[in-house]
Amino acid sequence: MKKRILSTLMCATVALTSLIGCGSTEAQTTTDTPAATEAPAASETKTEEKAADTTADASGDKVTLSIYTQYADDDTKVPYDYAVEQLKEAYPNVELNLIVQAQDDGQTLKTLAATGQLPDIYQASTDLINTFRESNQIMVLNDVAKSTGFLDKLYDANKDLAYAEDGNIYAFPFSGQEYVLWYYNKALFEENGLAVPETYDDLLNCIEVFKSKGITPLALFGQEGWNTAAAYDVVATRYAAGGIKALDEGTAKVTDEGYVKAAKKLEELVAAGLFQEDATTTNYDQASEKFLSGEAAMFINGQWYIEDATKALGENVDWMFYPAEDAASYEAGKAAFSGGGSASGFAVNPDSANAELAAEVAEFITEKYCEAKVMYRHNPLVALNTGKEPDSEYPAMMKKLSDTLPSVTSTTKFTWGLTNSTFNDGIQSESQGLVSGQFTADEFIEDMNDIME
Amino acid sequence: MKKYMGNKLAIILFILPALAIFITFDFIPIIQVFAYSFTDWNGLTMPNFTGLKNYIELFTDRVFYTSNKNQLIFAIVITVYQMFFATVFAITISDKKMKGRKFLRVAYFIPVILSVTVVCQLWSAILSGEGLLNKLFEAAGSGFSQNWLGDRYKAIYVIAFVNAWQWMGYQFALIVAGIKSIPADYYEAAKIDGCSNVLAHLKITIPLLAETYKFCLIISLTGGIKAFTEMNILTGGGPNKSTFTLTYMMYNAAFKKSDYGYGLAAASIMVIECMLVMLVINFIFREKNQKKEEEKSRRRRNA
Repeated sequence: MKKRILSTLMCATVALTSLIGCGSTEAQTTTDTPAATEAPAASETKTEEKAADTTADASGDKVTLSIYTQYADDDTKVPYDYAVEQLKEAYPNVELNLIVQAQDDGQTLKTLAATGQLPDIYQASTDLINTFRESNQIMVLNDVAKSTGFLDKLYDANKDLAYAEDGNIYAFPFSGQEYVLWYYNKALFEENGLAVPETYDDLLNCIEVFKSKGITPLALFGQEGWNTAAAYDVVATRYAAGGIKALDEGTAKVTDEGYVKAAKKLEELVAAGLFQEDATTTNYDQASEKFLSGEAAMFINGQWYIEDATKALGENVDWMFYPAEDAASYEAGKAAFSGGGSASGFAVNPDSANAELAAEVAEFITEKYCEAKVMYRHNPLVALNTGKEPDSEYPAMMKKLSDTLPSVTSTTKFTWGLTNSTFNDGIQSESQGLVSGQFTADEFIEDMNDIME
Repeated sequence: MKKYMGNKLAIILFILPALAIFITFDFIPIIQVFAYSFTDWNGLTMPNFTGLKNYIELFTDRVFYTSNKNQLIFAIVITVYQMFFATVFAITISDKKMKGRKFLRVAYFIPVILSVTVVCQLWSAILSGEGLLNKLFEAAGSGFSQNWLGDRYKAIYVIAFVNAWQWMGYQFALIVAGIKSIPADYYEAAKIDGCSNVLAHLKITIPLLAETYKFCLIISLTGGIKAFTEMNILTGGGPNKSTFTLTYMMYNAAFKKSDYGYGLAAASIMVIECMLVMLVINFIFREKNQKKEEEKSRRRRNA
C-alpha cells in the first residue's frame, strides 16, 4: 500500500511539474503574442514597449532596427556597408541589426510573418508585397515617400515601380529598370574567327565551333529558375516583344505563334549544345567561373554583372544584342529587351515598435543604396536620381548600354517582378525542363497552357 | 510488476505527459493539416473553405503522379540497399574472429553523424557534370560520363543512393544490436548439428531479427515517402520537377506559390500513405508472429 501511495505521489509530482512548466511558458507567451482573445492586454504591453522605445529615441539612446536584406556579393555588400556608414552620421542613435537574406523563395520571411516576428525593415519582392498586403503585414509608405522627398527623387521611368496595383507604396525600390544582357568573351570569339552572332544560324555555327574546341558555348546557371526563364524570354522577345511579361499579365497565351516558335527555337539550340549538359544543376558561382575563366564563351545575366565581368575580363568582355531569326528581325528586335523593373525594395513591418522611424530609415537606406550603386558599382540604372557620379569612369559595357537605352521600346520582367505566382513557378520550372534538353517544346507549351488554365 | 500494472492511476499519470506532448505537437497539427487542406489559404490570412477543390486539382496535376512514382522508387532503393548491406555488414563484424571489426563498426556509422547538407555537397561534387565520377570515367578512357543529377529519369535513383549511403549505418547499428542480443548457444547448437555459418545466419539470425527488420522497414519506407532534403540540395527538384516528392510539392505550393491549402492537400495524402505503409508492415509481421505462436502451441500439444 505504501509503495502504491509513493508511486502515485511520484507520478503526481512529475505531472504537476510538467504542467507548471507548461503553464509558466504559456503565461510568458501571452504577453509577447497579441492573441485575439487577449488583445487589450497584449496591445497594452506593446504600447508600453513602444512608449519606452520612443522615450529612448528622444533621450538619444540607441534604437536597434532589424533589417532583412541581401548581403552575399559585392553588388549587395558594398551598398549595404555604405548605407550603414551614412546612417551613423544621419541617425546616430539608430543601429541596424542585419539578418542576411536567404535564397529560399521567401520561406524565412513568410515564416517570420506567420509567427509575428517580421524584422523592422525587410527586402520584399513583388510576390511578398502582394502576400503581406493581404495580411496587413506591410506598411503603407505613401506619407513617408512624400515627406522624405522620395517621390521627387524617383526617375520618371521608375515612377510606376514604386506603386502597387492598388495605388499605394509598400516598398522603396532601389533598382531601376534592369536588363538581361547576353555577355560574350570577345577574345574567344576572335581566337576562333567568329563574328558576334546576329541570327540563329550564326549562333548555331558558333555552337559548333566552340564545341569542337571543348569550349562551352553558353554557361547557364539553370539551378536558379530565373536564369532559365530569362533564357526563354530572350528568345521569346524575338518573336513577341511582350515576352514572359505578357504571359504573366494574361495579355498573351503560350499557345500564340510567337511563344511556340520561341520554344521550338530554344529546343533546337539546346539540342545543338548551346548550354552545358548539366546546366540545370549548375549554380551561379559555377557558371560565372566558367565564363570568367574562358571555359565558356557566353553568359546570360543581368546588367549588374557588368562590374564583375569587366574586373575579371577587362576589354575581352562585351554584351551583344540578342540573336534573332534573320537579319531583319535582329535589327527590329534590338530595341526589345528582356528584363525590366519591379516593385521590389525595402518594406517596413507595420507592427514594429519603431515603425515610423523604420520607415524613415528604410527610405534613407534606399537612397544610399542607389548612391553606392552609382558611385562604387558603376551602375546608373537605379531607381533614384542621386546626383552622384561614379568614382571612376563607367565600364565600356555600361556606356554601351546607356547609349542604347533611349532607343529601347519594350522590356519584360525578371521573375521576381512577375505578379502571378502560379505562372512564375510554372515558367521557372518549365523553362528549366526546356533547357535541360529532356523536355520537348511541345511538352513545354502543353504544360504551360495547363498551368495557366 | 503486476501490482504496478494494476494501478490504473499510476499508468494514467505516467502516460499523461507524453500523451499531452503527442496530442499538442503531433495529433492536433495533423488534424489541422487535414482541415486546412480543404481551404484556400496563403498561410497568413483567414482561410476560405473550398471543399474538395485542392484535391481535385492535386489528382489532375502531372507532378502529383511524378512525385508518387519518385517516392516509390526512392523508398524501394533505400530499403533494399540499406537492409541488404546493413545485414551483410552487421553479420560480418559480429564474427569475433574478424580483424578490424571495431574500425569497420565506426566507419559504417560515420555518414550517419554527418549533416545531410555536408553529405549532399560531397556527393554533388562527385556527381556534377565535371565531377569526380565523370572524371574517373574520362581518365579510364570510358565514354560513360553521365548527367547524373540532371537526368529526368535517372536522377531520382542517384538521389536515393545518396540517402541510402548516408543512412545505411543507422540500420547497421540496429541490426548489430539485434545480433548481440541473440544468445551464442543457438549458434553452438547449430554448429554441433553441422550447420554452416551462412545457414546458421539464415536460419537463426535473420528470423530472430524480425522485430528489428520491422522497425528498419518502417523507417526506410516512410523515410522514402517523406523524402525532401536530398532532392532540395542536389537537384532543387529539377529538371522541371522531375525529382519532386509530395513533401516537395507541399514546400513548393506553400513557399513559392503561397498556396498553403494546396500544399496541405499534398501533405494529407503523404500522411495517409505513411499510415498505410505502417499498417501494411504491421499486418505482415503480425501474421508471421501469429503463425509462429500457432506452431508453438501445436508442438506443445504434440509433446
